Formats: sequence, structure tokens, C-alpha cells
Amino acid sequence: MNFSSKISVGLAVSMVIGCPLTASGGDFDQDVKPLLGKYCIKCHSGEDANGDIDFSTISTTDDVDAAFETWESVVKHLQAGTMPPEDERQPADNERNRIFAWYESFVNNIEAQPAVFKPRRLSATEYRNTLRSIFGFDLQVAIIEAEQTVAERSMVLKLLPTDPPGRSGFQNDTHQNPLTTVIWDQYSFLVDAALEQLFSPERRAELRTFTGSDRVGDLTSKQAERLLRVFLLRARRRTLPESDVAQIVSRLQDKSSAELLATVKFEIKTVLMSPAFIYRGLLVTVQREKQQSVDMFELAERLSYFLWADMPDDRLLSLAADNALAEPTVYAAQIDRMLASPKARSLADDFAVQWLALNEIEHVSDNVPQMVALKSQPIDFMHYLFTADQPLLQLIDSDIAFISPHTSRHYGPDARQMTRYVKQKGIEVEIVPNQKIKLEHAIERGGILTMPGVLAMNKGPIQRGAWILERVLGQQLPEPPADVGQVPPNSADEHLTFRQRFEQHRSNPSCAVCHDRIDPLGFALQDFDRGGQYLRSNNYRPPKRRKSREQPADTKSQIDTSGQLPSGETFENITELKQILTTSQRNAVLRNIVKRTMSYALCRQLMINDRPTINLIVEQMDETSGTWRDLFHAVANSVAFREMRRSPDN
Amino acid sequence: MPTSIQRRTLLRGAGVLLPLPFLNLMEASARTAEPTLPPRRFLTLFKPNGVHPPSWNISGGTEHDFRMSPLMQPFKKHRDDVLILDNMGDFGFSSHANSTRRFLSGHHTNTKAASMDQLIADRIKGDTPHRSLELTTEGLFPNQIGCSYISYDKNGAPMPRESDPQLIFDRLFRNPLASPTHRRRMSSILDRVLEDARSLSRTAGSEDRRTLDEYLNVVRESEKRLRNMQQAEPKVDVSRFTRPANAANLDQQVESMLDMIELALWTDSTRCVTYMLGNSNSRMIFDFLGITEQHHYLSHFFRNFSRTNLESLLKISLWHMEKFDSLLTRLKSRREGDGTLLDNTVVLYGSGMGHSDNHTVTRIPIILAGGKGLLKTGRYVRYSENQELGRLHIALLETFGIDVDTFANSVDSLPGLNGSDFEPYQERAFASWVKVEGIQITVQGRIRMSDNLDEAKVFLVDVEGQPPVRVEVEFRDFHNFNLAYHCGTGITLTGTGSTAGDQYIIRKVTELKSVYGRKPGTQNG
Repeated sequence: MNFSSKISVGLAVSMVIGCPLTASGGDFDQDVKPLLGKYCIKCHSGEDANGDIDFSTISTTDDVDAAFETWESVVKHLQAGTMPPEDERQPADNERNRIFAWYESFVNNIEAQPAVFKPRRLSATEYRNTLRSIFGFDLQVAIIEAEQTVAERSMVLKLLPTDPPGRSGFQNDTHQNPLTTVIWDQYSFLVDAALEQLFSPERRAELRTFTGSDRVGDLTSKQAERLLRVFLLRARRRTLPESDVAQIVSRLQDKSSAELLATVKFEIKTVLMSPAFIYRGLLVTVQREKQQSVDMFELAERLSYFLWADMPDDRLLSLAADNALAEPTVYAAQIDRMLASPKARSLADDFAVQWLALNEIEHVSDNVPQMVALKSQPIDFMHYLFTADQPLLQLIDSDIAFISPHTSRHYGPDARQMTRYVKQKGIEVEIVPNQKIKLEHAIERGGILTMPGVLAMNKGPIQRGAWILERVLGQQLPEPPADVGQVPPNSADEHLTFRQRFEQHRSNPSCAVCHDRIDPLGFALQDFDRGGQYLRSNNYRPPKRRKSREQPADTKSQIDTSGQLPSGETFENITELKQILTTSQRNAVLRNIVKRTMSYALCRQLMINDRPTINLIVEQMDETSGTWRDLFHAVANSVAFREMRRSPDN
Repeated sequence: MPTSIQRRTLLRGAGVLLPLPFLNLMEASARTAEPTLPPRRFLTLFKPNGVHPPSWNISGGTEHDFRMSPLMQPFKKHRDDVLILDNMGDFGFSSHANSTRRFLSGHHTNTKAASMDQLIADRIKGDTPHRSLELTTEGLFPNQIGCSYISYDKNGAPMPRESDPQLIFDRLFRNPLASPTHRRRMSSILDRVLEDARSLSRTAGSEDRRTLDEYLNVVRESEKRLRNMQQAEPKVDVSRFTRPANAANLDQQVESMLDMIELALWTDSTRCVTYMLGNSNSRMIFDFLGITEQHHYLSHFFRNFSRTNLESLLKISLWHMEKFDSLLTRLKSRREGDGTLLDNTVVLYGSGMGHSDNHTVTRIPIILAGGKGLLKTGRYVRYSENQELGRLHIALLETFGIDVDTFANSVDSLPGLNGSDFEPYQERAFASWVKVEGIQITVQGRIRMSDNLDEAKVFLVDVEGQPPVRVEVEFRDFHNFNLAYHCGTGITLTGTGSTAGDQYIIRKVTELKSVYGRKPGTQNG
């Protein structure tokens, strides 16, 4: 399905704002800017603008558009009365309404449009996968990966610098991550290593896929030509005009059989070091229209780098060559085929891990099998949601879990569903794969929020609350001020819980702005200790105190997990909070899921013109209780995904 | 050179430690004329998980008249080129991590300074393209990270390790500077990609052009670097070297790496190499030797005793010894000046601990080899007292012309390496006897481990004029009284057990006293 570019977003707006809007229209400079100056700019300007929001830098229409997420949060704060802070001067009702009216027209006038297509460098993971798909083997580091040790087995990931997350929050958004001479050297080194391997005796089978026949001694000129032709199709990720191919192949002419190999290696290396390989999108067909559908090869690439973090396979390339991908049923069938492929594991390994910050679990334990067990639980779970057509909101609560003997103690009687694990003689500790179980007793463990590794990676209720707020509800939090102190410990005659001490400590209204949102979420998880153990389970073992002067952890009877969200909902414990997240906060959670998925799929920060598409997909997912598969289809069919705008001067 | 500085700054800015294939080469431009004498090198081979002492230790013998032990047989043919040190190490117990830190750093508390190999590297690196190589075989062990490193930089931070022989080969011999051929090839690649990028650029829009500009800048910068890097004619044509094949198992991986070490030293690509045959608590499985248990599990041969387990452990240790042999054979095979590469290389081979189950740090395996004119080899040097490793390190630093007053906790140099006087070990006489009072047996004599592999858990106390008293105890007594520490010395041991004729067996120890007052475990090692 294709989304039309003009969509009414009125429904979504009133859901965000939650009240009817009376006035209409309005002009930013006349109606909004003076009010910002009057009530906001005192704190929100200059280098240390509060909450990293600086209204003083917004002047042109483009600035206003780019700040669309800021306006959304301005409206939310005005609505909830959380801003300006209670000890500051408050805007009058008619002033508030002026802002609301401007915002409604601002949002209503947005059209769904694709972004200007900017080429981007392959991320390290994409580069590794692409090289593997071209050659048919992985460049591996020779190292013995004994149990309890960690080693980077991929030569590519070992040599290339780790990509910093881009503005989208994802590593595949490499727009701000330029090519450097260091990276250039590593590319050159890796390509040489791959070529050494391709022509080594161990890779006879892989070489045959290029040459069509076994090499006996030197390459024949026929083999060399076929090799280059196959290679070019794979490495360019599209069919080239025969004239281009012929030009490259012609360089093989008049070469002695001894020189052929060196020539082939040289040609391959130049292709793999060329911009068209290193960057995505330089070869896209540009038409005269400002806005256009991307060509079929580009569409195939977008799809494969989204679902696989890898180049299109032969099937996808040939469907692109035949223009068959334009056919909706063919396109949809390809998405399903790709989700069923083992390569779709990258959605969990890359997309989910980065979105949910699951790499943090690596700091939970130095014991490698234990750490791997904790980290693999949410990854296996997300992989299951993504590829087994599960509803989006299973993210919050589910009766499926993935456990191993290293994590089974958290699952009570449910752990008995696992087939028994017998350790082989002479192995001290080892990594054991997860098994899928159905939660019947340990229902508190359902969903991502209460998995042991996720609980343990966030240290304390504040980090846990901030994680839910940002990663699950999609709200943005500013950096905490640098001068916040530690919560003072109980003095000798005090017996306050951590929560009580913390609430005393943060009574300042400027703290409350964020902590009113963070804390209820975090304290709802206080039934789980710092290692992620459930205090209310029968076999709870309190952790050892790390330092003798450390305050004892709160006991079961002291703990208060109840709370109230700024939007008014109250809950007693995490089970009720999960219920709120899947009912009254359902829209916010869905919206965040859609936005994160879009950002990852598009490898870029979302823009104002993506908003109508997001609204539409959220609505669709909400109404149909959509699954992850539905979402991937919707994203892959969106305007932003299937179309592009060319640069203004092209 | 500005380029090299720039690149380093860039790296630091990114906040990551990158293995750089070409970085060291930037320094090669300063390379000057060939030195007239062959350079001196330093090479370390580290053996994980200690030993089964009765198989390793030399029993009896003197400096020039000794019999190499069963585990030394694989390198027996190098007897004239090795210097076997004994009574090295002075801790009752030690963790794997601490014993590993001490191997090149003198003491485990020496955590803010360079290990001795790095001090030597600084002294002898000259204008070699690679200052040093830090090599290993096995992944990092995060739970006790110190098990994975022996080399530390000047701040005491671990040196990143490399395990892949192909990667080392490419880095040393297939980089653009390794030969004029490689340089020409790189230069034509740059020409061609520039051409490609320019042709794309002609049709590109502004966004694409920005990307292509970024790309072109990097290519031009690379061209400039290539032009600026002057190189001396390599003394060996490295393009003839064969790249190592993919290793199918640990043995092949290590053999290939030994090839690389030999080539790296011989071509004077580097002068300092440290190589760990595994983490000090190695979890590797020697499947190619037909063994299915982990090395570390087997190394706890008292706790996990069975004849088969012990034989597996010995097979692994023999394999380590074979690699040492293989290394020496390689270094000897390369002629250099009037001698061999080994003559110009000081080799240090050893482990961090002695008894691998109890982690006792006495009589740890330490062997020096090569270093003609610096070391006096062909000898067995057993010191009168247990020696700190730091003293050995001071002596080796001196060997390379580095005078330090102290190293780690040690203050003076270990004598005897170059043939100078040292105080040799001497058996001290004392009376031996057995007393029985009811079920209590007290014996005074010299304690040793049984060398019968069927009863490797059994200790024997030699008493003149009668069969040795057998000590057959559970792990708790073995460990708590640190029987392994006292081996080879006189003790008075009291316990309970049984008597059959003149054969006494102690099954429970109640007291152990050293005849000469030796006390293990006074330091928490």
C-alpha cells in the first residue's frame, strides 16, 4: 500500500494535546515568539540553556520546522502545567490557547514528503555483511574463543572503528561519520585480506561461484572475465550498462595467463575502494522531477539494509532488474521472505540492541557465560517478536520468555519446561543457548521491562525510570544537571527507604520537572533488586553487600512500588504499570515504536515531513493491533522509504 | 613527521584504540644505514597454567651436571643453548592474574609502570618499523582480566594483543611500504579510484558532491602520505614470503605465529616480541591432541585427579615444550653475521606458577635461551633461596644495557646469568624419624610429591632406613598446610592415619612445621 502525501493529522494532534482546540491559525513570529520571550527564554537560551532547549536560536521558518519535536513537548508541558515551573510567572489562558492554535495549524500544514537523498557510508556492520555476501565467506580473526573469554572474531569489526550513533540514535545513520585516512587504510587492508583468501586453496568453492569452473593452475581468460562480471553485479548492487562492464573487462585483454590474476585482483580492489561501493546511493537513477520513486535497485537496497543490514541477495537483485519489485504482491512477498531468512537476525542484533541500549548488559557481569545469557534473553525475545508476527505491544508484556540454565533461577517452576542441561566433563562454565518457554508462574517476567539483564543494566530506580521514559515511551530527557549530589544515606536514627530519602532530596521544583516523569516508572520496579532478582519470589537470595559501609537494601515490606503518572493514572506495582502502558499509554508506546523503526529503516533522523506518515502508521497499528511484521511492511511502503527528493541544484 | 602525528591525534580524538596496519610504518622513513653488528632482540614465550611439578623439576644435579626432566625432553637437543633457572618465585599461593602480572612486571603490585619487555623495547627498537609485537592465542578473560596480559605500557595499562598470524603477516609484509611493488600497486589503485570518483562527480547533485569531496580528500591525503614516505631498500625481498594458510587448529595457529616471529625478527621488522601460548588460566580445549577437557580444569590435577586427566595435562604441557623447541629450532636455522638469529636473541620462556593445582609460586618454570655473549647457557642454575622474579628482571634489563636501581619490589640483580658467581642450592642435613603415639603419627623428613602418575595426589616423606611415609590427604589438608610449597625441604608433620608393618600412611594432617622455618603464604600473592 502507498500512503498519500496529504493526510489529516487532526486526530493525532488532539490525542497528543488531549483537549479541544478552539482558535485556529496563527503566525509564529506574531503569536508564539513574543510568548517564548516572555515566559521561556530566561532559562532556555544561551550556552547552558535548561534542558538543552534554546529558543533564542530559532528564527527562520526552517528552524521552526526542524524544531517540530520541541513544539510537541512545549504543548505537552503547557497542557500538563509542568512548564513554566510553578515558581515562575505563568502564561494566561488566552496566551496558552494562542500557542495551541498555532501548533494545530503548524501540524496540519505538514505534507508527507520523502527526504533529500543523501548518500551515506556503510556502517561497519553493513560493510562486514556486504563483504561476506560478495565473497561468500567471513573475514575471521584467528583466535581461540575459549569458554569464558571474549574475542572479536570479525576482522572487519576488529579493524574498523566502532560507529558512533548518528542523530537518529542508530549506527547505520553514518551521515555525521565521515571517511578518514585511518578508515581508508583499514578498508584497503581488509580488501587485500579478502582477496588473499578468495584465491587460497581453502576457498575453492567460493571462487567457483565467480569463475563458474574450478581453477587449475592459472586463471583462464574466460574464467577471469566471468569472475569480473559476477563480481561487478554483486559489488555495484545493480546491473551496470554493458558498455561500463565491457570497459572493465577489456582490461583483461592481452594479459598473459600469469598476469591475469594480478589484473583481476587489481580490478576488484579498485571497485571495492571506490565511492560507489563504500557509500550507499551514489548510483541511484535521478529523474527530472524533484520528488520521485527510487529506482528498483535502490528500493532493493533500502529493503535489504533495513531487514538484513546487508546487500540484496541474487533473488532481490533479479527482481529489481526485471522491475518486478514494483508489483505490490511481489514486494510484500519479498519482505516476508526476508523476515524468514536467518539474516533478519540483524533486526534484533542491531536495531533492537541499539534502540534498547542492550549493550549495557555487557557491564553487568564479568563472567562471560552469565553476561551472554543475560544479554541474549532480550535479543532472542525481540527476534521472536520481529519474525514470528507478534503484536507490537508484546514488547511490554508477553507470556513468552527465553531462558538458559544461567538465568533459569529467575523463572521459578516455569524453568522446568527446559530440557535438562548436562554439562560435559571437564568444562567449567559454558555458554548455553536459550530455550523458549511459556510463562505460567513467573508472569512478572513477561515483556522487556522486567528481564533480569535489562533490570540489572540500569542501576537504581532513576536509571530504570529514565530508560522506560526514553526508550519505551519515546520522551526526551535533558542531561541531568552536573551539580546534583548523592542521596544522603540514613543517619543512625533514620529508617527511611531509598524512595523516601530520594523524595526529600529532590523536592526542588526544577528537579521535579523531569523526576515527576521518571521516578514513578523507576520505583515501580523496586520489587526487583539491583541484580534483577524478584524480591517477592520464594527463592529470593539477597545479594552480598559490596562495601561494608553500603546501606542495606530496602526489605520487601518497606518497598513502595505504587505511583502516579503525570497524566494521572495510578498504579500499585509493575503489573499495573504494564497494563497502563498497553492501554491508556498505548498510543505513546506505539508512536515511539513506529518512530524508532522508521529512523532505523531510513538511517536518518526523522523530519517534520515524516510526521504524517508516522501518524498514519500509528493509527493503523492502533486500530488493527498490528504486529511487527505489519509495521515492517508499513514502513517499507511509506513515502519516506519508497521515494526520494533530489538535492535542490541537481 | 606531521602525517603520523595527525593520524595519532585523530585516533585519540575518536577515543578508541585501533589496531593500525600501517601506523608504525610512518616511522620507517627515518630509517638509516644498516648497523654493522646484528641487532639484539628480546623474545618471551609464556606457558599457561603452571606444571605438574614432579614432571617438570630437575631432581638433584648441579650447574654443569644435571639431567633434564621428563617435560624438558622436547627441547633436550637445545641443552647447550638454554639456561635453566630453578627456585624462582616466592609465594605460597597466587591467583592466576597476579602470577601473570609478575611474569614480566616483577611484582603484582607494580601496576602503574611498564613491564620489563617494554623497557627493553624502548631501548632496542632502533629504527625498526614495529616497536614491539604483543601476541597471544586466546580471547580475553574479563572475569580476571590480568590473566590475559603479560605486557604493560608505561602507565601500567595492558598492551593490546594480536592473535592472527595472517594479520601479522599482512601488517609486516603486505603493507604499501613493504616493497616497491606494493607501493606501486597502491599508487595505481589511488589513481584509478580518483578517476572513478571524478567521473561520478560530474553528474552528481550537491549532496552527492559533498560525499565525493570527502572521499576525494581522503584519497588525496593517502597519495600525499605515500609520496612522503621514503623507504630504504628492504634488506630482504619480502614479496617472496608466503602468507600463512588458514589455521585449522591451535597447533597450526601457533606454528604459523612462530613463523611470523622468526620472520619479523630476522627481517628486523621488530626486535621485541612477547607471545602468550594461552591465558594464564587457559580454558582452551586441545581437541587436536584428542583431549576434550579444558586445560584449566585438567591443571587442577589434585582436585580433578584421574590417571587419564593427568596424562591429558602432561600431553598439553609437552605440547607447550614442543613449541618452545620449535621456536628455538627456527631461530637457530636463520644465519646472521657469524652466528644464528638465536645468538642475537635473548629468549625468556616460562610460566607464572609452579604447582598448577595449588597455585604455589615456587620452582616456577623459567628458562632463558640464546643471547650469545650475554648469557652463559648450557647450565642448570638452582639458587640457594627462592628468588623474586623482579631480581631476574633487573638482571635482564642490565643485559640490555638498562641500569635500574630497583624494579617493582626488588632491589638487586639476580647473579649468575652470564656465568657470574651465585649461591647455589645445597641440601641441608637434618635428622629424620617417625614416631607413633596411639593413632597419631609424627614424621620428620624431606617431603616430595609422588612421581608415580597413578597416585599423583600422594606426598611422600623420606625417612632414612625405611619406606617413605605416605601422606594421602583430602584437598583441604593438601591446600591448608600447603604441602606443595614445602616439597624438597625438611618438615615435621603430625597427623593421624594407619600403620601396616613399617609402612605409615597419614590421612589427616594436624600440624606441619618446617625444619628450617620456611613459611609459605606470608604475602597475599
